[in-house]
Amino acid sequence: MSTSDAVVDAAAPRVRSTRRRGRRFSRRNLSIIGFLAPFTILFVLLYLVPIGYALYKSFFIIKRKGAFGSPNEVFGGLDNYSRAIEDTEFLKSIGRVLLFGIVQVPVMLILALVFALLLDSIFGRFKRFFRLAFFVPYAVPVVIGAILWAFLYSPGLSPILDGLGAINISINFLGEGTVLWSIANIVTWTYTGYNMLIIFSALQAIDSSIYEAARIDGANEWKMAWQIKIPIIRPALILTAVFSIIGTLQLFTEAQVLRDSATSITSQYTPNLVAFTAASANNFNYAAALAFILAVATAVLSFGFLKLADRKGGE
Amino acid sequence: MKDIRKGTSSVFGAGGRKWRAATFISIAAVLGAGIAAGCGGDDSSGATTGGGGSGPAAGECAASTGPVKLNFWTWVPGVDKAVAVWNKENPDIQVKVKNTPAGNAGTYQNMFNALKAGTAPDLGQIEFDSLPAFRLQDAVRDVAACGAADVKDGFVPWTLGQVSFGTDSIYAIPQDTGPMALYYRKDLFTKFGVKVPTTWDEFATAAATIHKKDPTVYITHFPQRDTNWFAGLAWQNSAKWFSTEGDSWKVTVNDPATKQVADYWQGLLDKKLVANLQGFSPQWSNALAKGKVLTWTSAVWGSNTISTNAPKTAGKWAVAPMPQWNAGDQKAGNWGGSTTAVFSSSEHPLEATKFALWLNTDPVSQAILNKEGGLYPATTAGLDLPALAGPLEFYGGQKIFDVFKEASGQVDTTFQWGPIMTTTYTQLADGFGPVLNGNGTFGAVVDKVQGQTSDAITQQGLSVVK
Repeated sequence: MSTSDAVVDAAAPRVRSTRRRGRRFSRRNLSIIGFLAPFTILFVLLYLVPIGYALYKSFFIIKRKGAFGSPNEVFGGLDNYSRAIEDTEFLKSIGRVLLFGIVQVPVMLILALVFALLLDSIFGRFKRFFRLAFFVPYAVPVVIGAILWAFLYSPGLSPILDGLGAINISINFLGEGTVLWSIANIVTWTYTGYNMLIIFSALQAIDSSIYEAARIDGANEWKMAWQIKIPIIRPALILTAVFSIIGTLQLFTEAQVLRDSATSITSQYTPNLVAFTAASANNFNYAAALAFILAVATAVLSFGFLKLADRKGGE
Repeated sequence: MKDIRKGTSSVFGAGGRKWRAATFISIAAVLGAGIAAGCGGDDSSGATTGGGGSGPAAGECAASTGPVKLNFWTWVPGVDKAVAVWNKENPDIQVKVKNTPAGNAGTYQNMFNALKAGTAPDLGQIEFDSLPAFRLQDAVRDVAACGAADVKDGFVPWTLGQVSFGTDSIYAIPQDTGPMALYYRKDLFTKFGVKVPTTWDEFATAAATIHKKDPTVYITHFPQRDTNWFAGLAWQNSAKWFSTEGDSWKVTVNDPATKQVADYWQGLLDKKLVANLQGFSPQWSNALAKGKVLTWTSAVWGSNTISTNAPKTAGKWAVAPMPQWNAGDQKAGNWGGSTTAVFSSSEHPLEATKFALWLNTDPVSQAILNKEGGLYPATTAGLDLPALAGPLEFYGGQKIFDVFKEASGQVDTTFQWGPIMTTTYTQLADGFGPVLNGNGTFGAVVDKVQGQTSDAITQQGLSVVK
């Protein structure tokens, strides 16, 4: 199908619907509302309302009278926010996940891209098997995956460490300097296959006539990957990058699970852990402020990245 | 109907009040209909929860008329067997148990949330160190007037101190305790030629001897996140972490007794004589099972922990009293223990208290809870349960509970928990982590936590004496 066909096809119904608009106006509106309603209602109830409630709660602080006085919520303005900005552990946790993201996200996405490209061309015959094999870690619940890795990281329990120990190499995967990268490894292991699948399906959607044309022009596999496939699947890459940035800021489960084995992960290790710790200690208002700051930071980073990608793409 | 009416509880302040007014009207309507239909009956309970004030008034505890149903959240294994006995004997007060995960594994949070939502149970299991936090949220009821005051002298003295906060009130019924002693590998002590330490100095010497003879073996581990274990050690040394002065809290987490404990363990750590293992982790179990960690200073309930985590070491363990700070002293710490509390939203405080007292003082119930859940009773009479008299094979035929009974009487009765122990524990654990990995000292950590906890208490709207 040529591009001009597509334009005509897309334009045709538009012309028709304009003609009928007068007669069908109310019915059309009804169906639009009907289709949008399920999403809108759930979005408002489960997303906007909680965020609004958290924002509202974040402006209050607790006051009491006496050693066991009843809690009284009073308006505290930006108290919780100024406390968060001065909370060095919270700021450190943000720094930690940013460092994590800068290293882990590119590594994971490059791996996912390489696997997807390999799957698309070289592994042609074993596609099904490898597609499943790469994806399996994502099907393992995160907590279970983290527990498995905790065992693999533990001296005395890990066959890997025992093997390394036999040749006199000892690595402390759970030490203060290494544990962040041990978590990065778990995250990479879990999500590479998932990201690969998104990229791979984008690759599958490419019209094979493009490859034929490229081959006739003398392009080899490497050139086709670099100059045809990657530029075409750019939107998929951007999508996976945005998901990964959001996931990085929300880092929680892996760290929380490893805390049971490692003494190097504090309750303030990631921003989400900080908020979780505050909420567990009944500091709901402070936790609300932390959560709101995180939500804003995630939105800024995700949209910032989209904007950046858009601008680069437009050049 | 009963469940709906819990929404009228006056547990939480301003936020819930408007909502309450609205529900009150609808509930009144429902009630009216209910009575008309002939299924009402227990309307007298309104007297205790009405009024909209903050917290139920102390001193009154009215009986409900007609049959009563109580909901009870707990994580004691096998508690339903004790409750079945109660339900059979008390057709008018039926208790329904909900088995939950342990308190700090999410159940406390669920309790607080349920209290906010007005769906809290009548009774719940709360550990001693978390009780102040519940009282702080107006979540538990003073049941002194509900029959608890009459039998309070039967409880192990320190438990009464912690549920009364040094007043005449009783905010929960003590359920079990965790007096501490020293579990040690008798066989390996003999092998390494060390005798059982009676003082902490001897413990340090033994630690050095053992580690010198086999560098892969440690006398014990320092559990970063078992900060209530650390509290138990400080408690043994007569530390006082929290007290109230008038309307204010006094924080002394870094008092000299605690500092002594912290410095002692720092000394062992500096000489690399303690294993850096997380308590209750698979790594720790593995070290116990393989004889790489030889002792555990732990509570009475720890006897089950060892036998389930290192079953192959059966017969090789023994129990001795906790090492002392001064030779000849007889002091023990306590680690853990729970209470059964009546939530302030309960409409049947009298019946709930009656049940809680039975559950935790009746010999039949105590025997079941000990057999099924390994609970060590919180009544002085309970320490003589037949089940606690016999020798245990896992401990080489030693009558280990004799050691713990002795320890139970040696626990300082004046130790009080702070209002936000979850936070204090977190702060300690966050400080201990880096120390175990080579940065800072335990002594500096308790100094830091002194400031952090004071700040956190202030942030809860309470005042702290400097």
